[in-house]
Amino acid sequence: MTKPKTLVSSIAFACLLSTGLTTLAVAAECSGTIKVLAQPRDGLTLLEDYKSEFEKLSGGASFEIDYLNENDRRAKTKADASTIGKYNVYYIDEANVALFASAGWVAPLMDYYPADYDYADFDPGRQKVATYDGKVWFAPITGGGDLMVYRKDLLEAAGIAPPKTLDEYIAAVKKLNQPDQGIYGTALRGQRGSGANVWRWMPFFKGFGGNWFDGKTPVFDGEQAVKATETYLELFKYSAPGSQTGGWDEAVGAFTSGQVAMLIESTPLVGMAIDPKSSKVAGKVGYLPPPAPLTGGGYGHGLAIGVKANKDEASKTCAGLFIAWATSKENEARRLEANQFSELNRTSIMTSPKFAELYGPDLGQALADTGKVTAVNFWQSPQWPDLGDRWGIILEELITGTRSDIKEGLDELDGFAKDLVARSQ
Amino acid sequence: MKQKNSLPAVFLTPAMGILAVLALVPTAYAIYISFQNRELSRPDGNLIGFANYIDLFSDRRFINAIGVSLTWEAVTVGMTLLIAVGLGILLFECVSPRTRNLLTLLFLVPVILPRVSAAFVWKFAFHPLYGIATYPYKAITGQPLDLLSNPATALATVALVDVWQWGLFFAVIVLKLLETLPPQPFEAARLDHARTWEIYAFIALPMLKAPLISLAFVKMIESLRAFDLIYVMTRGGPGIATETLDMYAFSQGFIESGRISYASSMAVLMMIATSIAFTFIWKRVQ
Repeated sequence: MTKPKTLVSSIAFACLLSTGLTTLAVAAECSGTIKVLAQPRDGLTLLEDYKSEFEKLSGGASFEIDYLNENDRRAKTKADASTIGKYNVYYIDEANVALFASAGWVAPLMDYYPADYDYADFDPGRQKVATYDGKVWFAPITGGGDLMVYRKDLLEAAGIAPPKTLDEYIAAVKKLNQPDQGIYGTALRGQRGSGANVWRWMPFFKGFGGNWFDGKTPVFDGEQAVKATETYLELFKYSAPGSQTGGWDEAVGAFTSGQVAMLIESTPLVGMAIDPKSSKVAGKVGYLPPPAPLTGGGYGHGLAIGVKANKDEASKTCAGLFIAWATSKENEARRLEANQFSELNRTSIMTSPKFAELYGPDLGQALADTGKVTAVNFWQSPQWPDLGDRWGIILEELITGTRSDIKEGLDELDGFAKDLVARSQ
Repeated sequence: MKQKNSLPAVFLTPAMGILAVLALVPTAYAIYISFQNRELSRPDGNLIGFANYIDLFSDRRFINAIGVSLTWEAVTVGMTLLIAVGLGILLFECVSPRTRNLLTLLFLVPVILPRVSAAFVWKFAFHPLYGIATYPYKAITGQPLDLLSNPATALATVALVDVWQWGLFFAVIVLKLLETLPPQPFEAARLDHARTWEIYAFIALPMLKAPLISLAFVKMIESLRAFDLIYVMTRGGPGIATETLDMYAFSQGFIESGRISYASSMAVLMMIATSIAFTFIWKRVQ
């Protein structure tokens, strides 16, 4: 059974590459080095092996990628784009696309994205978060929603069925928490930041019916936010040590090292958890959409064209070509071949026989199911990072016990939000 | 004679010129934009007088950052000097010259490590699940020890790393200073039956007063620049428990808000406060 499957997937892969080679024939006229500021991603590292291909395609241009971790990348892109503008291409994300677009730091992508590269092939959820004010600003390099990832062996041993509702989830987390055995019920994110603790808190807030703003009036300071925070803090009692001030790395590290029973995290976790090279629990992992009523945190990171470093149309076109090539079907096919699950964004790749062969039908089904509950949980505004980061600090204070009054924290955020809106006008 | 007198000016002028461009221009610009309402996303700004400075004093994070910065200075400078003097004397008294040389080499390693590398190494060492520094506690009590997530211990834990880097290095300097002292006063004190601690408290350390004060000044300035260590280990957290003034200014300017005018007003206040404090301390010492 395996051989015909492999044959089909190899043919599909060859077809994708041949599409790429056809594209190669349409050479542009670019020169110099396209400078990219990004955060570390296996998919981008893989691109560096194919520099000569881009040189041929662009008519002589090369590229150079500088990497910074997520928080530093956000700070540095903001500083660079607003001042000297040294980078031709920025790695931006759902949280700051509104800021970059409204400040005029990046150019509308579709004006410079060659039609041959088929932008419409990207996952619709990722296209949605790359769009602000009716225009597309970046081409996805990673993205998705949330999945509840659990240890099948631990749940079976405890006689617990994979939870479908939040109440079941909380009960399971409490039951599975056995610190004396070195197993913790869950792992959350406590580290401050709109993309850290706030990111994991928002599915509770939105799931309970909360909203950030009504027009320009903050409306988040209500019972939904209080309930979301209480639930989040309750779950933190069963969260792995280190996660109280930790982010994605700490939560994922605790799970893949076998110390966590179940958690709700962004979809790339699955790729890491089922890979024996990066996970001690590979083969024992199950995944389902987040328990109801939690929404999935829809997100997307991608490459955008910097305005300052690309002074003329020709430079913008070259930057657009680089982005199109970097996120092309053929490069995604290479990422699939290299088993880089979290770097896959195109529908044609995620529905390909090769994908099914590598990851099985369950994961494809889980991704399809979680797509139905994936939502944009954050406030889509240029001021979002500012507001989200401020809530992140208050939330971290609540998690670590520096403050205990949830309502007082939300009231403080409400005052900050009003000031933020006033300042922006 | 005239030609000889103008020589210092000839040598000093280019250096002072470069210094003026590199130091004065950014400082003047920072002062200028601190009176504006500029943000990174809006390059145009209006003059708003002292509004940023007034806002700072009703900003709980700024008030907290002042407290954290002062605590950080006092703890790291005090502990570094205490360890340096204690360890320096211990090495001088109890260790043979040959072993001293070996230990000196080892004590220099922490300060040679880049600050960011040291921060990462210790961050992992303090991890409650996998950390080597917290392992003995976990092995004995069965409970994980999360020092960096606890607001009561986070700043002290980061300070420990700073003291580890600089305390050992300063201990080597104190040892070398002790070795340069003339032996006669020590011999005279011993003939008078002075105890060891009395010899150091009343003879050696007073003789080293000037270099020790210089070391204190060096450490005070160095401690003001601990941004990288704190940024890597705690990012100012948990909450704002380790958020120093420079970290808060950076957060406001580049991480969270992009409020560069507000961040500049903090930087200007820090510059004024540091200049006054150092001038005052320097004069008192003199």
